[in-house]
Amino acid sequence: MRRTLIFGLATVLAVAGCGVGETTQPESGAPASGGKVELSFLVFETPNLNAAFWDAAIARASAKVPEVTIKKLVTPNIDRTAYAKQLDAAGNLPDILQSVNPAGFAQAGKLAPFTDEELKNFIAPKAGAIGGKVYQLPYNTQVIPVVYYNKDLFTKAGITEPPKTYQELLDISKKLKDGGTTPFVVGGGGADTWADMYPLTGTVATDVYRKTPDWLLKRSQGAVKFTDPDFVAAAKKIEDLAKNEYIDPAGLSRSYADTEQAFRDGKGAMYPMGSWFATAADATKPAFEIGAFPWPSDDGSPVTPVFTGGGTLVSSTAKNVELAKKWALAFDEDKDNNDAFVKADGSIPAIKGYTPPADMGPVYNATVEIYQKGMADGSLFDAFSQEAGDGALPPGLADKAALGVQDLITGKKNAQQFAEFLDDEYAKATQ
Amino acid sequence: MTQTMRPRARVRARPAPSRKRPGRFLPGLGRFALFALPGLVAYALFVLVPIGMTAYNSLTNLNPFNPPTQFVGLRNYVSLLSDAEFGQALLNTVIITAIITVLANAGGLLIAMLLDRPTKLYVLLRGVFFTPVVLSSVVISVIWQAILTDDGLLNSALRGIGIDEPPGWLSDPDIALYSIAWIMTWQMLGFCVVVYLAGLQGVPRELNEAAAIDGASALQRFRNVTWPMLAPALTINVVMLLITGFKAYDQIRVITNGGPGNGTTVTMAFQVVQTAFVSNRIGYSSALAAVMLAIVAFISVVVLRFLQKREVSQ
Repeated sequence: MRRTLIFGLATVLAVAGCGVGETTQPESGAPASGGKVELSFLVFETPNLNAAFWDAAIARASAKVPEVTIKKLVTPNIDRTAYAKQLDAAGNLPDILQSVNPAGFAQAGKLAPFTDEELKNFIAPKAGAIGGKVYQLPYNTQVIPVVYYNKDLFTKAGITEPPKTYQELLDISKKLKDGGTTPFVVGGGGADTWADMYPLTGTVATDVYRKTPDWLLKRSQGAVKFTDPDFVAAAKKIEDLAKNEYIDPAGLSRSYADTEQAFRDGKGAMYPMGSWFATAADATKPAFEIGAFPWPSDDGSPVTPVFTGGGTLVSSTAKNVELAKKWALAFDEDKDNNDAFVKADGSIPAIKGYTPPADMGPVYNATVEIYQKGMADGSLFDAFSQEAGDGALPPGLADKAALGVQDLITGKKNAQQFAEFLDDEYAKATQ
Repeated sequence: MTQTMRPRARVRARPAPSRKRPGRFLPGLGRFALFALPGLVAYALFVLVPIGMTAYNSLTNLNPFNPPTQFVGLRNYVSLLSDAEFGQALLNTVIITAIITVLANAGGLLIAMLLDRPTKLYVLLRGVFFTPVVLSSVVISVIWQAILTDDGLLNSALRGIGIDEPPGWLSDPDIALYSIAWIMTWQMLGFCVVVYLAGLQGVPRELNEAAAIDGASALQRFRNVTWPMLAPALTINVVMLLITGFKAYDQIRVITNGGPGNGTTVTMAFQVVQTAFVSNRIGYSSALAAVMLAIVAFISVVVLRFLQKREVSQ
């Protein structure tokens, strides 16, 4: 009996020891038998980027790199970064990843950097660099936020043109509210808490980043804090928008898709959202015409918050890193793929020589116009909470900020408390 | 006396079986152990080893994105004591658990008594009430999100009857937690119904008839005959609901993501996952998990013992 038990225990320990201590070695770089290497590719699905979209884009890239076959993995929800972390914790980081925030992964050596030569076709090859190295292909730019508005509701409220200053935005909001229309549609329900961030992203750009473009980098160095007056002022604007009932807190129960639908249904006049909404608006037109304007600053100076990057990443332990990078570049540089991204997700490709399809709709064109104006007048700034690279928020803080914005909107926190909360969370995240 | 007894005992104790079969005091146990071995190995691998790893990790500052990992002793546990978010998560978990334990038990018992009839219609209704139990929590969450969101079915109906500003079931920080508790109660109601039905069918009809002949009212018969006989069913339901409440995660992940606002509907299980896989603080989240395990184990054991004592005394 004792022997049996000892044998059992030894077996348990032996098997457990193997399982726990085992480290996965990257397989040989040579293609497997049949001349093909199977690489896993993590994607996420949204109403714009559905399964058919990814399948077609993958097929186009694979046609250019025939020695690779792709095994598509889909995240359970839009939060692909959190899911990638779970996979990584289990030792299963996919070989190639789409639009995952590289913060943390790169510093821990889990991603393969791209060389200058590999990045030669990108307009901003150093966008999102971490310690001077680029781990995520800077394939597109997004303006975050653009304020999309319902022209019918504006006209009904006697508003003839979009606001140019923040005061004008407030005046318009008052007119709309007095006329029985909720000025802003803001969501953030379910797993889509992030969807509530965009008004704050706008005010941080106009009130903080315009004065100090590398503010978040300075925050990482301890030179500034969220409780500094500029940031508190930016948060106070959101607090006041909610206090004046220009933002309906009930919208916080709406998922991203429901929020978009609420705007389409005319439940609010303005919809601060990323530029990816543009093509959705063009593809499925609502019953009204949509206009677009950038989030206005106090004095009307142009401020255009953008994020450039968001492309494909390659794991440093991919089965064949060079082939994975080759496939990632094929995926992000392919003209048809970029056309598909433009049409499905309103992206503004940051590839040299790329021109969007000529038949793009009016909302997309209005969005691109905002971006091009920002480029021309030098008013491009980072989009708060969207940053990648050295100036990014520490892992997890963007999620906390989104929850904090919900507190701002529901009145559970004022601007000062929100700023203190962010400083506390920043300290925890960087412990 | 002792000396004279000993040789006799030896003579009796040493016969042939001891040579044929080792472990004669527990005949066959070795063989049983062999059969149990796969189960033991699986249990060790998938339960004990992870618990051990969690306990070890809780004593480190493990963060896979911020190496190196260092041994920090009990620092994570000390930090927990002053962590307001942990306190909030614990409170939320206790509130959810208390609500579902009381409501699902009371509702389950009531429905079980209504359904304790042998006709086909009632058999069908039992199936209907049990359906939410077999559905995935994620499916249930999506259904209830569609009902409770601001533009959902419930508020549309309320607006339809003239309530212009219906409650924000999921967006109001003062209500959202109770909405989650209600959804979980609804999900677990069918389980309680089935367990109580099984208990009710074990109550001898003669006892109720005898009590009725003795002049006991329906309430007296329930209090003095039926309810005591349902003690084992109550034990099962309470323990299952406690465990369900303490591990609440899926519904929160899908419906509120811990919001609206910071910590409003965060439970302990949700905080463990968020801390580990969003903030990357696996060492700290392991301490959270260890404390959660200790709390659940303690409460389950205490409640189980109390209810089992009650079963005996009944």
